[in-house]
Amino acid sequence: MDAAIYINKDIDAKQQKAVTTERAIQPYVYASVFSSLCIIVGLNWDISWHTSIGRDGLLAPPHDVIYLGAILAGLFSAYQILHTTFFGTDIEKQSSVKFWGVFYGPIGAMFCVWGAIAMLTSAPFDDWWHNTYGLDVVILSPPHTLLAMGMMMIQFGAMVAVLSSSHAAKSGSKAMHNWLFVIASGLLLSSIYGLFSEYLNKARSHSSICYIVGGILFPLFLIAVARAAKMRWSATATAGVYMFVAAAMVWILPLFPATPRLGPVLNHFDHYQPFHFPLLLALPALGIDWVFIKFENQKAYIKVILASLLFLLIFFIVQWNFGGFLHTSPLARNWFFGSYSWYFGANPDWPYRYAFYPDYIDTGFTLVKGMSIAAILAVLSGFVGYKWGGWMKRVQR
Amino acid sequence: MRLTRFILIISLLLISVSSFAHVGSPGVIYQGKAGPYTIMVNITPPDVIPGTANASVYIDNQQVDHVLIQPVYWYAGDKGSPKSDEALPVKGTPGQYQCVVWLMQRGVASMRITVDGPLGKGSAIIPVMAVSTAQRKMPASLDWQLAGLGLLLVVLMITIIGASVSDGVIAPGSDVKASKRKKYIAMGVTSIILFLILYGGSAWWNAWSSKYRRFMYKPPLAHTSILMNGKQMVLQLNIDSAWLRKNDESMSYIVPDHGKLMHLFLIREKTDDVFAHLHPLRKDSIDYLAPLPDLPSGRYLVFGDIVRWNGFAETISDTVDIPAKPIAQNVSNSNQVVYSDPDDTYVISNSIADNKNPYTGKEVLICGKPGTEMKLADGSTATWQHAANTPFEANKIYPLTFSIKDPSGNPAKLQPYMGMMGHAVIMKDDGSVYIHLHPVGSYSMASQEIILNRINGNGKAPKLPDPTAFRDSIDRLTAHIKSMSEDERNAYLNANMKGMAMPGMNKDHMDGMVTFPYAFPSPGNYRIWVQMKRDGKILNSAFDAVVQ
Repeated sequence: MDAAIYINKDIDAKQQKAVTTERAIQPYVYASVFSSLCIIVGLNWDISWHTSIGRDGLLAPPHDVIYLGAILAGLFSAYQILHTTFFGTDIEKQSSVKFWGVFYGPIGAMFCVWGAIAMLTSAPFDDWWHNTYGLDVVILSPPHTLLAMGMMMIQFGAMVAVLSSSHAAKSGSKAMHNWLFVIASGLLLSSIYGLFSEYLNKARSHSSICYIVGGILFPLFLIAVARAAKMRWSATATAGVYMFVAAAMVWILPLFPATPRLGPVLNHFDHYQPFHFPLLLALPALGIDWVFIKFENQKAYIKVILASLLFLLIFFIVQWNFGGFLHTSPLARNWFFGSYSWYFGANPDWPYRYAFYPDYIDTGFTLVKGMSIAAILAVLSGFVGYKWGGWMKRVQR
Repeated sequence: MRLTRFILIISLLLISVSSFAHVGSPGVIYQGKAGPYTIMVNITPPDVIPGTANASVYIDNQQVDHVLIQPVYWYAGDKGSPKSDEALPVKGTPGQYQCVVWLMQRGVASMRITVDGPLGKGSAIIPVMAVSTAQRKMPASLDWQLAGLGLLLVVLMITIIGASVSDGVIAPGSDVKASKRKKYIAMGVTSIILFLILYGGSAWWNAWSSKYRRFMYKPPLAHTSILMNGKQMVLQLNIDSAWLRKNDESMSYIVPDHGKLMHLFLIREKTDDVFAHLHPLRKDSIDYLAPLPDLPSGRYLVFGDIVRWNGFAETISDTVDIPAKPIAQNVSNSNQVVYSDPDDTYVISNSIADNKNPYTGKEVLICGKPGTEMKLADGSTATWQHAANTPFEANKIYPLTFSIKDPSGNPAKLQPYMGMMGHAVIMKDDGSVYIHLHPVGSYSMASQEIILNRINGNGKAPKLPDPTAFRDSIDRLTAHIKSMSEDERNAYLNANMKGMAMPGMNKDHMDGMVTFPYAFPSPGNYRIWVQMKRDGKILNSAFDAVVQ
């Protein structure tokens, strides 16, 4: 849709120029996507840090990378809002939402500012928490949850920032917008995986909980992306971004030395233990894209049901086998797949390190029941994703 | 009177919350050897676990290259311990090295100090009890700050969602008006969702807090009473079995420290003028009996120091009323004759408030002060080697040095008392600080020995033994130690502490001096009881100190 039709006819030439200027990608859009990258790199590094080294401080290097993301997104977005509010032209103000009677800003920047405030609020809260209830031994605590909400809100803000920017984009920057959106989406997908990795990792790939959780999360997110993006095969590309980032961390981090600094140390090593090799999500995501292309003119509910079920089917077939390979095959215990990775405090001779724990293997009726639940939830999730994608598609400011 | 009793009970309850092998004096001090190096170590353990301990190592006039500190837990052994951290020199204080050490789990931990220098490598093990004792409230300033930011986040999120479904989807410059209805519905729904998130978060926080309180360290509760065994008054310390069940603990796994299962101290409340150091006999797994010496009546603070089989050292606190006249109650098992321990002793001194002797007919010591000489019961004298009228500073390590001279004025030839050249008990006048010290420092030597045995063992954590068999074996051991002659007993205790090369173990202690390294934890008035042995008799002395 041509952005020009939105412009009032009575604006003068000077304002027209302003509109032209505004159509270029704003710095806060790049900053928010870069912040999202910082957050996911920092998060992966932090998980590896806790698996390999164990102890950290407020300003440990992975935290610094995460906080860099918060600060960049927060500052650039706040600047965008304040600049538009106090120095913006009428056109710039018209391209923003007005809030609290004074401020003008794009929705994406508002999400990013919210995320940055939440992340920075979590710092003194977490510090007090450590002094009161002890240093971190768990991933999820109230202050960490606030931090995670802030991180994901910045990542989501980046997606919205790209979308609203793309609606008023110059034709020359379309491809750039498309890729920025896919990258921003892939980075948020990486966070979603990190948050729910306990249920999605290789050791759970033979249990229906993996597919129930995957069925809830991925159709929702990938169908939303597929609908909102202005590019074909965007769900696949988004999954590809997540896979590339996760795999790159598996390949890069173990190049650096790290030794456990907390006791008890049951597993001794001298280099970083990487986080999980990614799920092969690009393959089931292909199914979503294929349905949306093949059945473009079909009714929404047909597309959603087909896309969700096809996603789940491919996800199940691929991940059941690939998860089994990663978990049990000696061929996965190398630098490429990183399946050797093991927490320093865990017994390296645990019999289920490279075998499925009996409680985590579903067969027969349990599996059929689990997958049926997964299918129902995947379809429901797909509908929510479709609706959400519809909103993202319409975001203008 | 009722109010006083109430206040005392409450204060004792508060004290007991934070007591493990001390009351209100959590710092651990070590004075001794690390191989060829003489070191002093001051450790401030965290009051919340997981947390970090601060460790300072002082090395006098010896050149060293590295000082390393490694946390070693009893259950993990040294093979399961992380790499050491290097303690770094403190600028402006030659010979002092400092380090932060992480203690991530509750239990019996220790610090292995390794000193490396021209004389080679040497190490020392210092036990530290890793337990959570603190309950913190959020400071008002942070409370307001977080509440303000939280409110901002809530309002901003409601605004964002409202804008997202209204103005946010209207094309820039368009004449179309955003739907206010949609906006308000979205804002209302967001408010409800945020309220539910906050409510859930608050419930989660409360659950976390109550879980923390459940796993906080709680010392064993006990009921102390006075019974009669014939004409003899007997103190009975009964460990609360309900407490044991609730905390899944057993009193069968107590091990001797200095050859005794329990070191029980009685200090007369408020006046601090009567002090007794007793060693009760274990009647059964939860009852300890000690014949009382001829103590003046009154309410006494009771501190019982015990060590568990895994090296966990703790103090049981209670109070007991000692009657003026015999009471008409008998020991439940009247067939059992309760003998006092040969190392039991007591001393009466002036009240902490004045120098008067309230006990006519009884021998009463007048407590010494820093720099002044005091007369002891056998005619010898004790002097606290600290400048007179110079107050102590809280949280600063002092070598509390006492010199004893025999009645002829020559340095006394001191003998070991329960294997040590001296024992000291320090108590603040309000009872909020209590600790039992030795010249080697403020840690339990039995704990140290247990951790050393664990390190030198086969690498596997010992399995919990059968309670009855273990208790019986320990009872036989303590009876055997008690049956030894004094020389045999000292030789036995010495052998069990061999390899530690500690100043308190020096048998040729001819200079009549004993030093206890200690840092008073808070300002106030303190009384210190020092116990030594000369000519086969236990010498008790007492001193008062003002700490600023």
